[in-house]
Amino acid sequence: MKINIEPVIIALKNFRPDRLIRNPVMFVTEIALIMSIYLLIFSGQYGLPVSPRYIYFYTAVIILLFLTVFFSNIAESLSEGKSKAITDSLKKIRQKTIAHVIEGSTIRDVPSEELRTGMIVLVNKNEFVPNDGEIIEGSGYFNESSITGESKPMMKVVGDSVTGSTVLTTDSVKIRITADPGETFLDKMIALVGNSVREKTPNEIALNVMLSGLTLIFLIITASIFSLADFLGINLNLFILIVLLICLIPTTIGALLPALGIAAINKVSQFNIIAKSGRAVENAGDIDTIILDKTGTITIGDRQAINFYPVPGIDRSEFLRYCYLSSAEDVTKEGISIVKLCESSGLDTEKFGGLSGEFIPFTSDTKYSGVKIDDVVILKGAMKSISEKIGRNDSFIEGISAEISSKGGTAMTLCKNDQFLGVIELNDVIKPWIRERIETMKNMNIKTIMCTGDNEITAQYIARESGIEEFVANVKPEDKFREVEKEKDKQRMVAMVGDGTNDAPALARADVGLAMNSGTQAAKDAANMIDLDNDPAKLMDVIFLGKQILITRGSLTTFSLANDVAKYFVIIPAMFYLIPQLGFVNIMGFTDPLLAITSALIFNTFIIPALIPMALKGVKFKASGADELLKRNIILYGAGGIIFPFICIGIIYFLLAGVGVTW
Amino acid sequence: MISGGSSTNFWLNFFVNNRLFSGTVIILIYLIVISIFGFIIADHIKKIYLGQRTILTGFSEKAIYFIEKISGVDENESHTFKGYFFSLLFFNLMAGVFTLFFLLIQTNYFPLPGQRGFSFSLAINTISSFLTNTNLQNYSSPQRLSYYELTIVIIGLMFLSAGTGFAASMAFIRGIIKDDGKLGNFFHDFLVAIFELILPLSLLATVIFLFIGIPETTSSFLYIHPFFSKSVIGIPIGPVASLEGIKNIGTNGGGFYGANAGYPFENPNWISNIVEVVSFTIIPMGSIFALGRVLESRNFGRMVFGVIMSLFMLSAFFTFFGEYAGLPTMSNLGLFYTGNFLGKEIALGISQTSIFASGATMTSTGATNSALNAFTPAGILGVLFPMLLNDPLGGVGTGILNIFTYVIFTIFLVALMVGKLPELFSLKISSKEIKYSTYSLITHPLLIVVPLGITLLIPALMSSFVSPRPDQITELLYEFSSAAANNGSAMGGFQVNQAFFNILEAGIMLTGRFLVMGFQLMIAQSFAFKKPKVTYGRSVNVGSFWFGFMLFFTMILLGLLSFFPVLALGPLLAWGKDFNLLIGVIH
Repeated sequence: MKINIEPVIIALKNFRPDRLIRNPVMFVTEIALIMSIYLLIFSGQYGLPVSPRYIYFYTAVIILLFLTVFFSNIAESLSEGKSKAITDSLKKIRQKTIAHVIEGSTIRDVPSEELRTGMIVLVNKNEFVPNDGEIIEGSGYFNESSITGESKPMMKVVGDSVTGSTVLTTDSVKIRITADPGETFLDKMIALVGNSVREKTPNEIALNVMLSGLTLIFLIITASIFSLADFLGINLNLFILIVLLICLIPTTIGALLPALGIAAINKVSQFNIIAKSGRAVENAGDIDTIILDKTGTITIGDRQAINFYPVPGIDRSEFLRYCYLSSAEDVTKEGISIVKLCESSGLDTEKFGGLSGEFIPFTSDTKYSGVKIDDVVILKGAMKSISEKIGRNDSFIEGISAEISSKGGTAMTLCKNDQFLGVIELNDVIKPWIRERIETMKNMNIKTIMCTGDNEITAQYIARESGIEEFVANVKPEDKFREVEKEKDKQRMVAMVGDGTNDAPALARADVGLAMNSGTQAAKDAANMIDLDNDPAKLMDVIFLGKQILITRGSLTTFSLANDVAKYFVIIPAMFYLIPQLGFVNIMGFTDPLLAITSALIFNTFIIPALIPMALKGVKFKASGADELLKRNIILYGAGGIIFPFICIGIIYFLLAGVGVTW
Repeated sequence: MISGGSSTNFWLNFFVNNRLFSGTVIILIYLIVISIFGFIIADHIKKIYLGQRTILTGFSEKAIYFIEKISGVDENESHTFKGYFFSLLFFNLMAGVFTLFFLLIQTNYFPLPGQRGFSFSLAINTISSFLTNTNLQNYSSPQRLSYYELTIVIIGLMFLSAGTGFAASMAFIRGIIKDDGKLGNFFHDFLVAIFELILPLSLLATVIFLFIGIPETTSSFLYIHPFFSKSVIGIPIGPVASLEGIKNIGTNGGGFYGANAGYPFENPNWISNIVEVVSFTIIPMGSIFALGRVLESRNFGRMVFGVIMSLFMLSAFFTFFGEYAGLPTMSNLGLFYTGNFLGKEIALGISQTSIFASGATMTSTGATNSALNAFTPAGILGVLFPMLLNDPLGGVGTGILNIFTYVIFTIFLVALMVGKLPELFSLKISSKEIKYSTYSLITHPLLIVVPLGITLLIPALMSSFVSPRPDQITELLYEFSSAAANNGSAMGGFQVNQAFFNILEAGIMLTGRFLVMGFQLMIAQSFAFKKPKVTYGRSVNVGSFWFGFMLFFTMILLGLLSFFPVLALGPLLAWGKDFNLLIGVIH
């Protein structure tokens, strides 16, 4: 196994006081370290006992203080190392290519780093997209595997945004550049992950203020013991005072805090999500309502033909024939699925080979598509639009349609001229794991609202099947903004997913807006997170992650503060072992004061590396309501934080005593 | 012993013979009674906080209108933190300067026969003390002040400090419930507090005290001729009842007599004892109940009440059990020993003394009906610890400010622990609020520990102490805690009227009052732009048991963590000494 010593070197470099001062707790620890080295060297001048056992003790203190700062630094450099690995791999993706800039009628080749916003660039087949932009002419398949990991090329048309350093695999397109050098998507991502632009979240700032305040109190208190002891005529050993100080100031959380912040951003990056700020991730943990699209998030997204219902009197094979004809040239997913189902239902498609008519494409006005063969018009579409078109109603069609809708399916009515032929059942399949996720959200008191353009009945069916309590049917994209507003008015924190330009206002209004990488530039600008994998259901993972980050920070702080109780009850009696009347405070019954103090410091030091994995991974928690979680965490980290160090210090003490350390 | 026989006598015997039980019952009765009165007044206080009309508005309106007219205050002029706090400081400073010079000139240039003039440092200390609602007295009242001076300086400042405290809490509440970014008008709030709450209640209390038999007169001495002696003894009397009224209602403390409510003319019997305890807890307790109603979250109000009550019980029973157990030294010597009665009024007994003492430090009253110096180390710990937490129940108004700083601190920890962003009634708690709440929470221990550390190192100052060494630490800790918490309870045991202590304490009291109040009003200011919605609990339920549990332990932990070493070497060491029967090891 290759051991990477780089984090160790960085950790050692970070001993520099000017770097450490960002972390007041560790800064105080380092000052204490320097002081104790000084005291050891000049111990004679300060009247400190210099018998061998005391020299051992002093040395142990110095080593442990050094380790405390070192462990804190190593936690930080380890998580920095992780983020550095991520940025390095991102930097490798960034391609420098030659761009073909179109200026009027001429094409000029310039290096990609000289491109500016607004330039029009031609990209040919198998060329890298030189910079972020928007397609203004042409269409083609783009391989975005370098960024998303998705190896299947994505079809992009006019208006879609493309990312620099992805590859056009077919055709050629003209794009308008939308980012200046240094501000591209990849640049932003690198900057974000690397901690150069990492700013502290308001919560981290608040926690830092709190910890600094506590550190100041403990500094003063430790100093006051000096005068108390002096007053009582007790000769206090300065080393013991230093140990008390270090044990009291919140070193545990202080040491892990920088690492926690970086780990948060790293974890988000591992999900292939770019958060524009650490704040957005914390906000995610606080979400009360998530607004999800039905299609693509709760369901797989492709409506597939699953059944045929010819009207009575029409032969099934004849119906299949018309179905096939209507969709043979339809390239939509529904059309393709109809053709597939016809084939698998035993329709011999060979004999239609030469048959061709004029294809009538789907438009949003007509809401149907079909084919015109000679004077026969075969149309398929929603029942309402077909009925309007041919001016007829049919009770069989209506009955079947209602039944299909109630199952969440889509009924596609087929007609020939002005005669109803039957119904094709299309259905969208609910993602298999979505129910479980929605349940988890519910346990955390998070309300899920499903938005769908489908009708009420379909929406209700899907909502029931996936366990969602609230849904909004017949939604137009602009309605989403209203939904967000409505929830915001109730003082709730809202998260939503979007990809269209229509979604941009809602994404901006929501507390957490997750845009799909495949979405428009407007959506990506409005959102505060971007998902590179284009999986809207990931919003729920982000929420879980955000919560975990906050819980980790809160629990470790509580744990760290609660630890002080035990340390007090070990060090104070040991410090004043010369006063037998204070013996009743010595609830641990330690008889060797120096050993007891060392045990407390050993616990204080080694709890840091013990908690590093937890800090980097995040604490485990069960999805449940706030009150339930509070109860559990108070018991675990509050009460546990008081009892655990007593046990550990006890074990360390008796182990040390057992191996024959007698100070 | 009362002989048994009939069933009534059985219970009488039972209570007399089981003093631990009957004492516990008495303390519980006190706690229930003060809760009931707090509950009754809560509606009135709620209306004042919300600016609604109360039964007294008809009268107070006219008085306030008149005063505002002649002083040129426009009540509709609402200020932000800057304006509000500046008015508050300016008003207090003016009052302080005026009373300071008045006191110095009166006592030094126009002394009554036999009256000793106030030194500059004592005057500074006295004025700071009464201005900050602390009411530590480094002088003995009846001998040093004429009634004229007493009325203007002492009673005047007692009203002023109580009114200022309540006005600050009105501004704080306004910052929470409104969203216009303004805290209100200090002078108007002050007048409302005086005319609608403090003045009527102190008049009522004074009348009740008169009926109980507390003197109220303009003559200065009551001359008595003891039958066993030819000499005449002059007992100072004067406007005791009126002072007693505002002293308790305004959670001021201090007293007409040096011995405070331990003196029969200030506290003649158990009825006056319970009335006094009720009168100094009524506004703080009522404010806590009003809090839940004002914020439309009864659960929150109940939770705060629960936490405060738990602390109150902890303090009262710690004191009671400590005093009841007394000094093991005495029992070990084989003496018949019924608890530590030293320095206590026999008519009131240990339980009524304990509840009075602990109530006085739970609120910022600091009055006493016993000699605290004679308490056992355990007993004094029970009285001391509320002051280490900066008087959880608080003074008039300041109780709410103090509890909120703890609530904000706790909510931050709790919210993170459940993965939520911290907020209180959907008011986002940003780093700014945490900053000011941390500042105000650390100011308090620093104001105690730093002077303590310095004083201990100056042998000249410690020479006036008479008790053994660990007790000296307790006494000093008690003195500075009382000053920093603006409590005014005094344990004594040393010569406090020294320039060093006078000036140092004045500094502690002024900082502990105005700096902390400034931090707390800064919190209100940053809430002032946000409007609370309590109808929907999206975050941690601040009314829940577990939140209250966490709040309770955060308070205890902060107090314990900050003061454990000092407590260990002070009261705990003294306690240990008693048990070990080893005296003089440390001397």
